[in-house]
Amino acid sequence: MSIYGTMRTGVSGMAAQANRIGVVADNMANVNTTGYKRSSTQFSSFILNSQAGSYNSGGVETHVRQHVTQQGAMQYTTSTTDLAVNGNGFFVVSDAGGTPFLTRAGSFVPDGEGKLINAGGFQLMGYPLADGDPNVVVNSMAGLEPVNITQNALEATPSTEGVFGANLPSNANIVPAGTLPSDNVVGSVFEAKSSLVAYDNLGNEVVLDVYFTKTAANEWEVSAFDQADAAPGGGFPYGAGPLDSQTLIFDPANGRLDGASPNGLTIAVPDGQALAIDLSAMTQVAADYTVMRADVNGNAPSAVRGVEFSSDGTLYAVFENGDRRATHRVPLADVRSPDNLIATAGNVYAVGIDSGDVTMGFPAEGGMGTMVTSAVEQSNVDLADELTNMIEAQRGYQANSKVFQTGSDLLEVLVNLKR
Amino acid sequence: MNLSVALSSAQSALSATSTQSSIISRNISGAADPGYSRKMGLTSSMGLGGVKVVSVGRTADTALHARMLEANSGASAQQALLQGFETLARTVDDPQLNQSVSASLGRLTDALQMQAESPGDPVLGAATLSTAYDLTRTLNNAAQTAQGARAEADAAMADSVDRINGLLTRFENTNRAIVLGTQSGTDVSDELDTRDRILTELSQEVGISTITRAGNDMVIYTDSGVTLFEKSARVISFNRTFAYDAGTTGAAVFADGVPLTGAGASMGIKSGALHGHATLRDEVAPQYQLQLDEIARGLVHAFGEPAPGGAPGIFIDPGPAGPGLAARIGVSPDVDPALGGDLGRLRDGVTVNFNPAGDAAFSDRIYAMLEALEVPQGFDPATGINPNTTLSRFASSSVSWLEAGRQQASQEASFRDTMLERTRESLSNVTGVNLDEELALMMELERSYGASARIISTVDTMLQSLLAATR
Repeated sequence: MSIYGTMRTGVSGMAAQANRIGVVADNMANVNTTGYKRSSTQFSSFILNSQAGSYNSGGVETHVRQHVTQQGAMQYTTSTTDLAVNGNGFFVVSDAGGTPFLTRAGSFVPDGEGKLINAGGFQLMGYPLADGDPNVVVNSMAGLEPVNITQNALEATPSTEGVFGANLPSNANIVPAGTLPSDNVVGSVFEAKSSLVAYDNLGNEVVLDVYFTKTAANEWEVSAFDQADAAPGGGFPYGAGPLDSQTLIFDPANGRLDGASPNGLTIAVPDGQALAIDLSAMTQVAADYTVMRADVNGNAPSAVRGVEFSSDGTLYAVFENGDRRATHRVPLADVRSPDNLIATAGNVYAVGIDSGDVTMGFPAEGGMGTMVTSAVEQSNVDLADELTNMIEAQRGYQANSKVFQTGSDLLEVLVNLKR
Repeated sequence: MNLSVALSSAQSALSATSTQSSIISRNISGAADPGYSRKMGLTSSMGLGGVKVVSVGRTADTALHARMLEANSGASAQQALLQGFETLARTVDDPQLNQSVSASLGRLTDALQMQAESPGDPVLGAATLSTAYDLTRTLNNAAQTAQGARAEADAAMADSVDRINGLLTRFENTNRAIVLGTQSGTDVSDELDTRDRILTELSQEVGISTITRAGNDMVIYTDSGVTLFEKSARVISFNRTFAYDAGTTGAAVFADGVPLTGAGASMGIKSGALHGHATLRDEVAPQYQLQLDEIARGLVHAFGEPAPGGAPGIFIDPGPAGPGLAARIGVSPDVDPALGGDLGRLRDGVTVNFNPAGDAAFSDRIYAMLEALEVPQGFDPATGINPNTTLSRFASSSVSWLEAGRQQASQEASFRDTMLERTRESLSNVTGVNLDEELALMMELERSYGASARIISTVDTMLQSLLAATR
């Protein structure tokens, strides 16, 4: 037993409490930092060998624990690029040098180049969807690139498929051959006509005129023309023959399309793609011509107006005409022991030996949490906890300082034995 | 759950409540607007940390709205038709003035009968001539009014087409904003109201039906199925005809290359002001014109010499032959002393001299004319009036036809108006703002706001006491 030893023990106690105060200070400082995970201190005793009758005081060792897996509260925002993870998983971000990190801080804003940057200055990584579904390597971050929401070119999508459904009046007059729309002569007779907007390769609007004419009982001819070829003032004769013409056969038992009947049109859109229009919803009952469904895909060239994330991590570009196109998919990464990740400045974590290897996945798949848009995860620091810890640490520090002081007093007594 | 979470929950509750309050204030300000539908803030609690207004909902009843559009189209079609009938009725109106063709014909008969008593009296002869002129003028004026009504209807159709094109352009913009807003999840409830308002205005002009597609995209068809709007507005075209006579056929209105009006329209519209005006221009007014023409033809025929239908008599068709005789018919200059004619020819015959002896009391020809008026003639059945009848009966039937048409249009119009009112009322009951409800909700929100604020102050007090412990 030595007085020096006791004083050292007091110093180690003070140092431990100082560490604790330091952790509390950090937590309190980051009480409003998005995605911050609190740390806490754990102590372990350091005991020296003691013999009977003599005690060697040891000390205390400080271990800092991170509470990375503890979920923070969601705070809802009005920005569509604010993201939060509810459950397991981290966003993959990278610094300017390209080093990947994991983070829960999802308050992303686009920078001047269109990259999504969070408050720590890290850019969000995702899989590009330009070439179809991403090839995800489960244990590696290969294939990721910074998510960029700007688009340099206007994009048009040619029409490739459509659907049209209407009722044809079963009591319509039968039109004899020779004056059918498919004959494309002056005075071609038709029962009903609708037009649909399709888009060619360059995004020009092509209006398709679709004519329906009864040719025999339960048989209807459907012919599609390009409206641009129409005679002056509209109608027949068109400058070119029909783009496609089919004869639909209806089942007299129920008014639906017969099983043997063609059920679609394949239209070669001028300067565009082959457009398949599904006509299987057509009916023929004793009612007026009524259109029930009409839709053709494709869009005119349009600039990106904004972006939005869906909860499965897909980033959609929203075009000015309202169309959406998936451009990136943001993955989530997880490790075996998230609490042992190496915390680095900027709310990011680096993968280390203790944490285990990284596993890639998508939100709400394979144990990953869900992605919440227009929200950020608040820090999981609780002020009340920290304040109580602080008081405890303060008292602990005071007690340790008393030990030190007592040791010092004893030494003084010892020194004063000799005059 | 810790104190920080409690704070952030309360904070989110405050922001949700304030969003809801702003929605209520929108509802209250829109309470008097018939096109406004009630909005609701739809809240959702998500995971840790409170509540959020996820989207703004809007009360709507698409079936009822479609009924309202239909009633609106029907009412405005009848209104337009009634307006046309009233213009035509000006030709027969005012029984005191006796301006109708039928009354003029009666006066001519009276004058002839008077003259038959003393055929040689030049004063009575002049009176007969004046009534004959009166009759031709009445017919000319009536024909002019009928054609004027057609020209007016034509102008109204042109206005209607302009309005439809304008409305479709506005619709295109609003629809685009709605599709965009729906895709990006913003609040489009006000735009939806605007879109419904445009549809209401559009239904006044033409009967429509709509389909809503993915992304709140709407397609408009006429009630006959012609595409008016699908991604982009279709062109509605119409060539105005400025001057009308009986032989003129007005141009048809084309939408998407398909005629909406006129005889050749296989997909003709069935309601809306455009339909009302077109019916008047292409059916009612031409039929009335045909009746007037038949009266004029009957007059020329009845007064023909020596037998009815022979050589021209008092009334002549100056030509050229063709429809629209009512506008052309005149009095033979041979009987008008002012034009170098001789009043005595009224008594003796215009082309053929029935009184070669020059007998001053010769009244056979006048009686023959009076008799010819009472002989049933074969009129054109296309007039819609009993074709085998006398001229005077035919003329009065024409008046009845017009009055009956007007009355029917008026009754139908008031019925349609009532129906429209009822539908509007039901729609307003479903989608409109109920002030009591809003105020009750407002008080509820006030309480909830207070409670959330209290949580914040309580947490504050708790932290305060903790801080006080740190000295």
